[in-house]
Amino acid sequence: MIISSKKEEKINEKMKYKKLSDLKIGQRGKIVSLNILDKGIRRHLLDMGLTRGTIVEVKKIAPMGDPIDIALRSYELCIRKADLDGIFVEEIREVK
Amino acid sequence: MKIGLVGNQNSGKTTLFNLLTGMNAKIGNWPGVTIEKKTGTIKGRNYEITDLPGIYSLSPYSVEEEVSRKFIFEEKPDVIINIVDSTSLDRSLYLTTQLLELDTDVVIALNMADMLEKKGISIDIQKLESELKVKIIKISALKETGIDELIKILDEKKSSKSAKGVHRLKKYDDVIETSICRIENEISSDHTEFIAVKLLEEDSRFSNFLNEKIKRIVADTKNKYKYDLEEEIATQRYNFIDKIVGSVLKKKIIRKSVSDTLDKIFLNKWIAFPIFAVIMFLVYYLSVGVVGSYTVDFISNATDMFSGWVDETFRSINTSDMIRSLIVDGIIKGVGAVLSFVPQLIILFLCIAFLETTGYMSRIALLLDKLFRRLGLSGKSLIPFIVGSGCSVPGIMGTRIIENEDERKMTAILTPFIPCSAKLPIIALFTGYFFKENSGIVSASLYFFAIVVIIISALIMKKIVFKNTSSTYISELPEYKLPSAKYIFKDVWDKVIAFIKRAGSVILVSSVVIWFLLSFSFRLEYGVSIENSMLAQIGSKISWIFNPILGTNSWGATVSAIQGLVAKEQVVSSMAIINGLAEDTTEGGLIFASTGIFGFFTAASAYAFMVFNLFSAPCFGAIGAMRRELGGTKRVLKAIAFQTILAWGLGSLVYLIGSKLENGIISVADLIIGAIVFMIILLIIASSRNKKNNECANCPYCSACEKK
Repeated sequence: MIISSKKEEKINEKMKYKKLSDLKIGQRGKIVSLNILDKGIRRHLLDMGLTRGTIVEVKKIAPMGDPIDIALRSYELCIRKADLDGIFVEEIREVK
Repeated sequence: MKIGLVGNQNSGKTTLFNLLTGMNAKIGNWPGVTIEKKTGTIKGRNYEITDLPGIYSLSPYSVEEEVSRKFIFEEKPDVIINIVDSTSLDRSLYLTTQLLELDTDVVIALNMADMLEKKGISIDIQKLESELKVKIIKISALKETGIDELIKILDEKKSSKSAKGVHRLKKYDDVIETSICRIENEISSDHTEFIAVKLLEEDSRFSNFLNEKIKRIVADTKNKYKYDLEEEIATQRYNFIDKIVGSVLKKKIIRKSVSDTLDKIFLNKWIAFPIFAVIMFLVYYLSVGVVGSYTVDFISNATDMFSGWVDETFRSINTSDMIRSLIVDGIIKGVGAVLSFVPQLIILFLCIAFLETTGYMSRIALLLDKLFRRLGLSGKSLIPFIVGSGCSVPGIMGTRIIENEDERKMTAILTPFIPCSAKLPIIALFTGYFFKENSGIVSASLYFFAIVVIIISALIMKKIVFKNTSSTYISELPEYKLPSAKYIFKDVWDKVIAFIKRAGSVILVSSVVIWFLLSFSFRLEYGVSIENSMLAQIGSKISWIFNPILGTNSWGATVSAIQGLVAKEQVVSSMAIINGLAEDTTEGGLIFASTGIFGFFTAASAYAFMVFNLFSAPCFGAIGAMRRELGGTKRVLKAIAFQTILAWGLGSLVYLIGSKLENGIISVADLIIGAIVFMIILLIIASSRNKKNNECANCPYCSACEKK
C-alpha cells in the first residue's frame, strides 16, 4: 500500500521531521520520506542515492541562498531547494 | 570485439579512453564533459572501444545520458568496462549492479584507488570481486597504471568468450527476487533480469514486454510494500551496496577538506561574486592587454619584413605583378593578419583550460544558478558560456548537459554572444589601435557587455518564446583538482594548431577569393583602382546598412563584417587585404592610417563595429551546431535574425552615444547617471514580474498545473 501524500505529511508533522531544504549548514539528517511529485526528479534522486535511511549533511549553500550542496554517500550533490521539497529528514544531533 | 566504456560522470572515462586509444578527446573537471559517444581502437589491438557520456543509472535523465543507454541496448557491446570511482564507491556501484543485471560481460576498472589510499583507506579488491562476482582491475587513469592489466583481461575475454549470466547477485529481499524470477520466465529476450526489474519499477519504456500475467505479478508485489516499488528497489539496491562497501573498505571515507576550505572563499556570501568578476576580467585583460602589448609590434614588424622579403624575391625572379600581388597582398596579408594574434590566443586558451580542469566552473554554475533561473536559464548554462569563450561550437554542443529543453535551447542561442577566440583578433586589432594603453580594460568591458546582452536577450526570449519555466538543477560538485600540466599543454597546443590550420585553409582560400574580387572589375580587367573592383561595387551598394554603426558609408568595413560568417577572424584578414591593396604609399602597413581606407574609424565607431561583429550571426560552424541543438532550420534562421538585428541595434546605439561623447555633447558623468537610471528601471521591471510569479515559484506541482 502506498501511503497518500496527505497522510504522510501529517506523520511528518507529528514526528517533528524537518524538510531537508530547511537544514542549515553543518546540520545532518536521516532521510525518512521522499514525497516528490515529479516522477522524473524522484527517480533521478533515488538513483543518486537519496534513499530512505541515507544520512545527508548540508555542506554549502550558494551565496544567493539556493541551490544547496549536500554531502551524502561520500560525494557532494548540488540541488535546488525546490527539487528537495518533499524530502523529510530526522535531524541527527551529535554530541561532540 | 566491441567494448563500451561506462561509468558515472566525472569518473575519468575519457582519460582512460585517451590512454587506451592514444587519442586526445576532451577531458575536464565537471560532470558532463563527454556529450557524444566517441569510438577508437585500443592501441596494439583491433578492439573497438566507445567512450560514452557519464550516467548514474540506466534510467537516463538528460539527452546525453540517453546516448549511453542506447549504445548498451542497441549496439550490443561484447564487453562493458565499468569505470568505478573509488572515492565515491557506493554511488558508483549503484550503476555497476544495474550493469550486472544485463547479459553483457562486465569488467570493473577501479579508478582513483590511489587517491583513496592517500587518505589512509584501502579497498579489499579480492573481497569486492567475490561479492560482485566480476573481474576488477585497479587502475589510475591519471598516473597511467593498471592499463596493461586491463588490456590483458580484455584479451582473455576475447579468447574465452565466456558466457555471462550464471553468476547472479542476490540484491533484494525474497519477495522481489521471487517476482523477478517469475517475470523472467514470462519474457524471451536478452537481458531478462534487467527487464524484469524495470517492469517491477513500472518503467514505461519497457511496457511492450507487459502481458496479463506480468501485470498481475507486479500488482501482487506492489501490494506487499508500503512504498512504491521504484523506491523500494532503489533502497534495497543501495542497502545491498552499503553492506558490501562496509565490508571491503578498511576505513570510513571522510572527504578531504581542501575543497571545503577553498569553497569557504570561492562560495563566500560576500566575496564570491567579486572573485568571479575579477577572474573573468583577468582572462581578457591578460590575453589582450598584457600579452598583446608585448607581441603586436614585434609580430607586425616580422610579417612586414617577411612580405618585403617575398616581394623582393619575386621581383628578382621577374614574376608578373599579378602573381606577386596575389601572394604578397592577398595570401600573406590575409593569413598573416590572423596569425599575428596567436600569442593572445595562447593565453586565452590557457586561462580557459585552467577554469575547465580545476573544478571552479562547477562552483560558478552553483553561484549563478539562482540568478540565471530568473532569466529562464540554468546555472549549468554557464558551462557552455565558458567553453564558448574558446569556441562556440563545443560550447553549443555542451548545452546537452542541461536537462530542461527550454533552458537548453536558450543557452544554445545565447552561447555565440560570448566573445570566442576567433573574435579575439577583432577585439585585439581595434582595442590595440584605438584604446592603446587601456586595451586590456576595453576588451574586458566587451566581455561584460556580452553578459549584459545575454541577460537582456534572455529576458526577451523568456517573455516571448520560451514561457515554460519548471526546471531542475541536480549536479554533482566535484572536488578541486590541480590540473595536470601535461593535459593543459596538450589542450592549448591542439587549439592553437587548429587555429593555425584554419588560417592555412579557410582563411587562405578566403584571402585568395577576396584578393580576386578586389583586383578585378566586373569586366575581369586586372589592375583597376580598388574603387572599381567587384567587391567595392557590391559593398558600396549595401554600405548604407552600416552607416549608423560607422557614421559613414564604408564598403570595406561592410564586406569585411559580412565575411565574419565564414570565420570571425576573417574580418581582420579581409580588412588587412583591402587596406593593403588600397594603399598608394607603403607607410608601415597600418590598417587604420589616417590616409587609408579605414582612416575614418574613431574610438566610437571602432567600439560600435566590434559590438556588431561580436553579437551578430556567428560563423557557419556555430550556425551548424545551433541547428543541431535547436533541431530545425527555421528556428536557427529566427535565432540568427534575432542575433543580427540585436547586434545592429546595439552597434548603432553605441555609436550614437559614443560619438556624442567624443564630440563633448554629453559627458562621462551623463553616461554613468543614464546607465544607473536604466539599471534601476530594469530592476523594477524584473522585481515586479517576480511578485506575480511568487505564488508559483515554490509550488511543487509542476507538470499538471494549469497556471503555467
